[in-house]
Amino acid sequence: MGDREFADVAIIGGGPAGLAAAAEAKGAGAKRVIMIERDERVGGILNQQVHDGFGTKVFKEALTGPEYSAIYEDRVNERGVETWLKTTVTELTKDRLITVRSERGVEKIQAGAVVLAMGCRERTRGAIGTPGTRPAGVYTAGAVQYYMNVSNLAVGRKVVILGSGDIGLIMARRMVLEGAEVVCVAEILPQPSGIAGNIVRCLEDFDIPLYLSTTVVEIHGKERVTGVTLAEVGPKMGEKKGTRRYFDCDTLLLSVGLIPETELANELGLTMSPVTNGAIVDESFHTSAPGIFSCGNVLQVHDVVDYATLEAEKTGIAAARYALTGDLPEAKISISAGAGLRYVLPANISGEDSIDFTMRPWKEEHDKSVVFKSGGEVLRRLKMPHMEPAGMIRVRVGKGRFKHVENNEITVEVED
Amino acid sequence: MKSTIICIVCPVSCPVDVEWTKEDGVLGIKNHLCKLAGPYVESELFDPRRLLTTSIPVDSGDWPLVSVKSDPPIPKNMMLEAMDEITGVRVKAPIKVGDVLMTDILGTGCDIVATRNVKKV
Repeated sequence: MGDREFADVAIIGGGPAGLAAAAEAKGAGAKRVIMIERDERVGGILNQQVHDGFGTKVFKEALTGPEYSAIYEDRVNERGVETWLKTTVTELTKDRLITVRSERGVEKIQAGAVVLAMGCRERTRGAIGTPGTRPAGVYTAGAVQYYMNVSNLAVGRKVVILGSGDIGLIMARRMVLEGAEVVCVAEILPQPSGIAGNIVRCLEDFDIPLYLSTTVVEIHGKERVTGVTLAEVGPKMGEKKGTRRYFDCDTLLLSVGLIPETELANELGLTMSPVTNGAIVDESFHTSAPGIFSCGNVLQVHDVVDYATLEAEKTGIAAARYALTGDLPEAKISISAGAGLRYVLPANISGEDSIDFTMRPWKEEHDKSVVFKSGGEVLRRLKMPHMEPAGMIRVRVGKGRFKHVENNEITVEVED
Repeated sequence: MKSTIICIVCPVSCPVDVEWTKEDGVLGIKNHLCKLAGPYVESELFDPRRLLTTSIPVDSGDWPLVSVKSDPPIPKNMMLEAMDEITGVRVKAPIKVGDVLMTDILGTGCDIVATRNVKKV
C-alpha cells in the first residue's frame, strides 16, 4: 500500500485519446502527468487495427493503427508522462481522488485535474437479444480482431457477420485475407453502419454480399455454430414473413455498435447526454464536475481517430490550465442541435475562441448546409456536399462569428 | 466519361465525381474535401491498388506478431496471391517501424514493411 500520490493531471485510459491528452497536458506545463492504463500496453484499439487510414487529417497521410499509436507513445515518453500500466481505476471521487489497483496493490492519486479517456467497449450478443442456442463460435468483431492481429489466433473458417459497423467490415476483409470464407454481412438497418470507404475496400473488393434490412433470427448448432437463419425486417424491425434464408457457417461475428465505458462518469453523477451516452462538456471538454474532463470515444464515438486526437489535445491543454490556475473560459453560450442533427458538441462555449464543432446527422443528405443561428440571424453557413449518420461532421467556426449571439443561445441545424 | 468513385484514403469517404477519358486520363474531379482524393481517383481508374496490411509471427519478441504493410500499395488483384507469399514467413525481434521484412513481393516492386515496434525479450 503506497502513500497517496499527487499529480497535476491524471489521465484515465492510454488509448489514442489518453495518449494525446497526456502529451499535451505535459506540453502545456503540468509538472506531473500520470496516465493510467489497465492493459499491459498503451495504444488501446490502435494496437489491433493493423489496417490503414489513420492520420490523414493530422499527418496528411494514411498510416496503420500501430504506426499512428507509436508516434504518440514516443511523444508521451519524450515529454516525461508517467504511464502506469496494468492498473485499473476502481474509484474516482468529485474531489479528484483516484483509487487504483495494480500488481503493487491499492494506491491513491490526488489529481488537480482528471481526464476521462476510457473509450468504448463492444455491444455483445446479450445486448441485442439474438435468439437461438448458445454454441461456441459467436464473437464480437473487435474481440476477433484482437485474437487475429495481436494474439495470432484464428477463430473460424466460414463466417457470417451481423452488423455493418466499421470493425465488422474491416474484419470481413481480414478474415478473407487469412483464408476464411465470409458468407455475407447482414445489417438490420436499411443503410450500412460503417463508412462508405469500407463498403468498397472490405466488401466490394472481395465480392462479399451485404444484405440490408436483414438480421439473424436463429443461430443453429449445439456445441459449435453450424449455421444461421437470416430474415428481412420491415420498417418497425419486425420479421417479414417468408424471407427466412439459411446459411452454413461455423462462426458468427457481431459488429453491432459500441458502448462508452462510462461507469466512472455515472458513479460521479456527471450530467450525461442521452444521445451520445457521454458526458455533457463545454468548449474545454470540461464536464459538470469541476476539474473533470472527458474526450475520445467515452465522450462521443468517433469514426476518425484524428478527430479523437485533436479533441484530446485540447482537453489535455485545458486540464493542465485548470490544474495550474483553477481557471477556464466561462462557457455561457449554450449550443443546441436543431432540425436534421442528432447532437452537436460542445454544449457550451465562451464565444472568445474559435470552436471545432462535432455533430452527426439523422439521415443521409446531399447538397445541404449546416447553419449556426442565433436570434433568427445566421452566424455561419457551411455547405455540406454529403452527410451520413456513419460519418461524424467536424466544422470550425471562427470566433468573429460569435460577436452577434443573442440571449447566449446558438442553434445548429441542417438546411437546404 | 463521368464516374463517382468513393475515396478510400481516409474514413471521410468522399464520393468523388470524376470526369475522365481513356486517352486523356482524369479531366476534372469534384465533391472531395482534400488533396489526397486526386491521386487516389487517378490510380483507381487506371491502376487500382490497395495497401495490403497483415501480420507476421515474431520469434522472441514482446508481441507475438508484427503488423506489416505493403510499400507502396500493391495491385488490387494480387492481394490474395501476396498473402500466400507472406504466410509461413517468420521474423526475429527486435523490429522497428519501417524495417523491410520482405522485398519485391511477387515482382511487384512492393516491399513488406513493419508497422509496429517489437522489442526483443
